[in-house]
Amino acid sequence: MTTTTGPTTGHSTAWVGADLPRKEDPALVRGSIAYVDDLRLPGLLHAAVLRSPHAHARIVAIDTTAAKALPGVHAVLTGPESLEVIGPLARFCAEEVVEHAIAVEKVRYFGEAVAVVAAESRYIAEDALALITVEYAPLPVVADAEAGMAEGAALVHENLGSNVVYQHAFTFGDVDAEFAAADRVVRRELRWPRATAAPLETNGAVVRFDAASGRMDVWSNTNLLNFGAWVMSATLGVAPHMLNFHPLSVGGSFGSKHFLAKQIGIAGALAKVTGRPVKFMEDRADNLLASDAQAPDRAHVAELALDADGTFRSLRIKVVDDYGAYFLLAIAGNTNPLSQIVGPYRIGSVTYDVTAVLTNKNQQGVLRGAGSDVTNWVLERLVDAAADELGVDPVELRQRNLIPPDAFPYKIPTGNFYDSGDYPAVLARALELADLDRWRAEQERARAEGRYIGIGVACAQQRSTYYASEFWFHNIGAPAPFTTTAESVRMRIGPTGGITATLFAPFWGNSQETVTAQLIAAELGVDPAEVAIDLAPTMHGLPSAGPGGSRMTVMLSGAVAGASKKLKDKIFEIAAHQLEASLDDLELRDGVVSVQGTDASMSLADIGMAAYWQKASLPDGMESGLEASFTYDPPFFTLPNADRTDLGAFYPIVGHGCHVVVVEVDPETGQVEFLKYVAVHDHGTVVNPRSLEGQVRGGIAQGIGVALYERVAYDAEGRNLTASYDEYLLPGAPDVPRVEVAFLQTPSPWTAHGVKGGGEGGRMIAPPAVTRAVEDALAPFGARIDELPIAMETIVGLCAPP
Amino acid sequence: MKPAPFRYQRTTTVDETVAALAGGRARVLAGGQSLVAELCARTTSAEVLVDIAGVTELDHVAVDADVVRIGALRRIAALEDDAELAAALPALVECAGRIAHPAVRNRGTIGGNVAHADPASGVPPVLLAHDGEVVLTGPGGARVVGADAFFTGLRTTACGPDELLTELRFRRPGPRGGAAFHEVSRRARGWGLAGACAVVELDEGGRIAELRIGLLGLAPTAVRAERAEGAAVGRAPEPEAIAALAADAVADLDDIPGDVHASPALRRSLGRVAVRRALAEAVRRAEGS
Amino acid sequence: MDTDFAVVELTVNGIGHRVGVEPRRLLVDVLREDLGLTGTNVGCGQGVCGSCTVLVDGASARSCLMLAVQAHGADVVTVEGMATAAGVHPVQQAFLDAQAQQCGFCTPGFLATTVELLDRNAKPSEAEIRAALAGNTCRCTGYQHIVDAVVRASEAAS
Repeated sequence: MTTTTGPTTGHSTAWVGADLPRKEDPALVRGSIAYVDDLRLPGLLHAAVLRSPHAHARIVAIDTTAAKALPGVHAVLTGPESLEVIGPLARFCAEEVVEHAIAVEKVRYFGEAVAVVAAESRYIAEDALALITVEYAPLPVVADAEAGMAEGAALVHENLGSNVVYQHAFTFGDVDAEFAAADRVVRRELRWPRATAAPLETNGAVVRFDAASGRMDVWSNTNLLNFGAWVMSATLGVAPHMLNFHPLSVGGSFGSKHFLAKQIGIAGALAKVTGRPVKFMEDRADNLLASDAQAPDRAHVAELALDADGTFRSLRIKVVDDYGAYFLLAIAGNTNPLSQIVGPYRIGSVTYDVTAVLTNKNQQGVLRGAGSDVTNWVLERLVDAAADELGVDPVELRQRNLIPPDAFPYKIPTGNFYDSGDYPAVLARALELADLDRWRAEQERARAEGRYIGIGVACAQQRSTYYASEFWFHNIGAPAPFTTTAESVRMRIGPTGGITATLFAPFWGNSQETVTAQLIAAELGVDPAEVAIDLAPTMHGLPSAGPGGSRMTVMLSGAVAGASKKLKDKIFEIAAHQLEASLDDLELRDGVVSVQGTDASMSLADIGMAAYWQKASLPDGMESGLEASFTYDPPFFTLPNADRTDLGAFYPIVGHGCHVVVVEVDPETGQVEFLKYVAVHDHGTVVNPRSLEGQVRGGIAQGIGVALYERVAYDAEGRNLTASYDEYLLPGAPDVPRVEVAFLQTPSPWTAHGVKGGGEGGRMIAPPAVTRAVEDALAPFGARIDELPIAMETIVGLCAPP
Repeated sequence: MKPAPFRYQRTTTVDETVAALAGGRARVLAGGQSLVAELCARTTSAEVLVDIAGVTELDHVAVDADVVRIGALRRIAALEDDAELAAALPALVECAGRIAHPAVRNRGTIGGNVAHADPASGVPPVLLAHDGEVVLTGPGGARVVGADAFFTGLRTTACGPDELLTELRFRRPGPRGGAAFHEVSRRARGWGLAGACAVVELDEGGRIAELRIGLLGLAPTAVRAERAEGAAVGRAPEPEAIAALAADAVADLDDIPGDVHASPALRRSLGRVAVRRALAEAVRRAEGS
Repeated sequence: MDTDFAVVELTVNGIGHRVGVEPRRLLVDVLREDLGLTGTNVGCGQGVCGSCTVLVDGASARSCLMLAVQAHGADVVTVEGMATAAGVHPVQQAFLDAQAQQCGFCTPGFLATTVELLDRNAKPSEAEIRAALAGNTCRCTGYQHIVDAVVRASEAAS
């Protein structure tokens, strides 16, 4: 954004786009960073949770007498007992799907909490668990979505009368007519597995309740903070203005730590009952069994209608999603994809028909990609299938259908916009970096030797910066309960010129401190080393939705720009007054305000001193001090229409990427080795390239995980079979290749500096590229991969000699 | 994930340890890489743990002409780094290098590994394939149990509750012998889904004189592939023969474990591949020697 | 004779300590709670993820799989003991230079494993590095910057 009149700002270094070493890192390598489990409070007690060994059962009786009598135990609470101090958990769904932190009356998934203990140590708390006896009356298990929809199925929630908790076909454009008119319809049944975030740090909360004042302090690795901590008020039984959440450093989230109402509720209930601060820290079993962080579990019937020349016309996706036992976020994971459902292609109409089923599993939360990772995979599977059926090159088929660079901002059939992009250029760059011809030749050579090399290309979207309406527009006709997901920054320039910025969101492993310092450096013409960043608890909080949804860099850019503008207005006003110059002649560069063409100048330290201490030399009526805050609302938001045939612009800051993957598959064992991995991403203006590369590579590792290794497995009795890191397999260092990352930058027209978010893209684009590479490797065996993770058994069975 | 309470004792000699094990209340703590994990998960419990880390007489390796004797307390990492051992028992050292990760190998002991008898562990099959022996010391003194008789059931061995596993013995491959270990894991590293140790002796004509194969992941315990071993004698170790023997090795298995990682059918397929690869390498080494 | 309470003497980051513990107390809990060294983290409590890795007598060990009593007489180094007054350890510097961390939770464990790796093998290949690091799980970085850091550290040392 340039101005032709008024003062100008600059710095001799371009801080936006600089690989500034991260400000967060020194504390990380020294181990001096504090995560929630590192906190020490006087009198702290430790909680442990007794979990149900049944997936579905009535709780007949619980005897906690022996547990209470164990030395060192301060309190034991069952679900009903907890209701005296905490309420049910808040939920974002309109349906009456009631959940408690500790099960009341019945358990609905394997591992659901049935009792909690607070004791002097976690050791003693676990000893106490062993002394609790529970009598269950098992109920028939609703083992999966199919079972949930079957005639006469047991009900996960009796009050609902059905396990089908939501069903709607979102239709945009004349899909039926397009399908009827198309030359060809490609159809696939596609299965995406239930995965989970499993970050290295589990969920936890330390809660201190002061009965004297009624104030509750919460230290938790939750993201609720200023976005929805007030939502917890009813659960905790504490007035919202008496709740104080302290932001923390968090050991990874990937979406799984957005809420944690249950974990906070458990610690809160015990804090109230014992009168002591209580820490509940999940162990890994707690986390994998019951953290409410499971992800889409979908069976699709997907169809792409196209013409004989390969032009895409229309898209139909019918999906059944197994939500588990509760419905915290309603179908947000299925509305998220409507932001980019047609991918980077010109497809004029689409139906997305979603059925949400409740089952006896731990519920879904939101996991990096938020459901759009799944639809990326579905669409790219259809495109590859179309290429195979038409007998055309999959890259050429994509090129034919990509939205051209002159079409932006581009409105997709659902009503959302893609703000900017150059998809053909991204694809071309990826192909160039990958040296596709060389690998095709290599593939042929290998086949002659009986070795199987495959190449996969995926072009997909990465929407960023989530807006509010995706959480409620599935309630057809309902009014808008909330219409912003804001982010704030408070900035203060001190009397000696140093800058303090206060953020209101937790550190998740993304680089918010570094990025903020770089943005402030760019806005104020200072050096990032002059910027100190701190986080404020919610009693001092401003609106902040926090990390997730690839939004922080975009939102911080806007918030910093807004706060900086206010500060600069004041800075220049003071300088103009003191230097007796006109605003148009002023320039702020490298921390100094000067009058162009003269020697007259004031440093920010001078301006700070004047602002704080020299009221007499300030312009008349000017307040002392030099501080500004700004709450930035997502730009370019429009509401959906009443019948939801136009969802409005609800996710218009859209990045894009192309991955080219080369693998070798061992047909005897089903193991997959990566030979080449290229990822070209467009996230608009990049603030810190090394940091964003790290996000892309980390996301790709997770995408490889879901493509090859990750699946939350429940058996027919609803027992979770993957409740440890030995069973829920994450890729290790030898399993993830070196990834060449390149960025193309088509700035967003709507954000500060043209930034777009990029945190999720790696995970959103890798699975289809990896899937196709394996499928391509096994083409001689007629491979068709319709399900993830790609099981060794699938490959071995496919390739087995007759 | 914290253990339930237990009592604790340190010993410095085998005799002291055997005395502490009397009465069956105590369990042996060596490296703890299996036991402490189980105690933390509370899948097992102990009244008393006897910490034998100080029983230095059990930390030895003796490489003789025909036999290698390894004390129970020898750390896996020490085996990995032992060049003399690598020359004498290359399959064992290969196997050792595949066990878990450096931190686990630093503390885990070979005796602990064998006593724990996890069906996915590589050391028991290596012991079986090398005509191994286990020395157990109890109140009545030491006794030697052949490896074939040692692994009796799922994580169950012939070691009594009042006995200490003190030494493992491996028969070295002969002058025209070769040994190799191969396992197939889900990821590049990690627990083997199926694996094999093959020890082959060739006669002067280059045909197989003797073959012993130990299998992991294909039964509740490590087992021998007896049918393949029998079918191998007198055959020329050509690729087709090796492939046929690998098929034999897994054909009779009727109690293959199945879990979230691999079905019995997959393990059988992977086992066949592991046997073939291990045997092919063992033959290469035998022919090279 | 067996006991239900033990006094453990150990050196941690160069400082001697005497700690009274139940035999079941894990080394990681003694480090984090009794000695206030919270840099070492617990990711799984089962010895799988490697977040808890420290150096015991120079060799990497899973502190979540060690009883404190097993560390009697041992010389333990945690992440807090890597830097000196003069500055961070060369391996820590390499991690900084390569931007090898995002959330940092796994970082102390990787540092311990890396120090040991380079002690044993001064010039590891990338494949050797990845194999040696296979026991340390990272969910954020995709490992590449960590591998870069190890390469940097090995080059800096020569």
